Amino acid sequence: MNNFDKFEFRMAFPMISSLFDDIEQRILSPLSCLREFDNYWMLEFDLPLVDKKDIDVTFDENIISIKAKLKEEYSEEKQGNIIKFEYFKKSISLPERINVKKTTAKFQKGRLEIKIPKKIVGHSIKIN
Amino acid sequence: MNIMLENLRFSFNCKIVKNNDLELAKISPQEKTLLVGFPSNGLVGTFSISYLIHHLKMKYIGDVEVSDLPSTLFVEEGEILAPIRVYNKNNLFVIISDVPFDQYLAEKFALAVHAFCKDHTIKKIVLVSGMESVNQKEDGPKIYGLVTHPILESKLYDNQIPKFLNGSIFGTDAAIISVFRKTNIPVMVLYAECHSFFPDPEASIIAIVTLAKILDIEIDIKDIQNKIDTLRIQHRNLMEETLRTLQEKKTRAPQIYR
Repeated sequence: MNNFDKFEFRMAFPMISSLFDDIEQRILSPLSCLREFDNYWMLEFDLPLVDKKDIDVTFDENIISIKAKLKEEYSEEKQGNIIKFEYFKKSISLPERINVKKTTAKFQKGRLEIKIPKKIVGHSIKIN
Repeated sequence: MNIMLENLRFSFNCKIVKNNDLELAKISPQEKTLLVGFPSNGLVGTFSISYLIHHLKMKYIGDVEVSDLPSTLFVEEGEILAPIRVYNKNNLFVIISDVPFDQYLAEKFALAVHAFCKDHTIKKIVLVSGMESVNQKEDGPKIYGLVTHPILESKLYDNQIPKFLNGSIFGTDAAIISVFRKTNIPVMVLYAECHSFFPDPEASIIAIVTLAKILDIEIDIKDIQNKIDTLRIQHRNLMEETLRTLQEKKTRAPQIYR
């Protein structure tokens, strides 16, 4: 296989969503990015301090939600107060026409990669 | 020789401001080198240059002001810090920015760096940045080098840094390269393969190790290795802000297909 076999179109920038931590519930909002490729979407979440077994991924229509428990409590100091966090949690709206059943996921180096195939729609046109 | 920063006033609406609280470091007459770091892909420049400042215990000697940069200050344990700061130790200088630049500000920043180099007779610059890795190898991120002047080619060769051969460069790196390639001050850019959209301290470690070889200094990377996960969480907001800044002005992160 030469290098060109691996070539895929990718967007210069992903769709990024804002971060909103929930201090009361001790929930951190993870970074995520959604990138479009020829035949699929790649949704990634940055989940440091997390073990694979502690990640839950759920689909509800076109919304994907993840919840992950941190291996250890993470603390941040904000305006003199120590704030502790125990979970990552986020929901992302996905584009239309996706094949949920063929979605796959892998977790490597604290990054969750969810590959969501596009649904092939339409029909071919015969060229005379 | 003490450098009197109060006498320095840069053109391009940029200036360096004297820091009254700190004694200015003595400058060695040997070849002066400037390191530059700013938020970009994977925050590689931010992590590696900050770590170097911390590890070498460099002295904070002043700030660089760039006009049109929205007023921003950081407060750290009661100390007010400007977003673009200058550090020094012997013949090594560092300019580090905690704020990302859009294309317009990138050009102003590049001119400010040039003015600084002229005033301080800097002989070479090393930039540290990240490069999106499309097909990252199993054995971890690699680092590539790009130089503006042939005089620095041997540094790449001596340190076994492969040359960045094909690709496009956008944003602040491109602005600095564009300004300096027309001058007699050579620039070396180190591009560590990284995740462009998430903070990547692991890629920064490769950059730190390479930087140490180039500068011929010893740097213990244990500290940063132990904090990889925490750094990723702590820098979520800066990463998000960096991406938004780059997107707003339609600049793009370096992308390479190999």
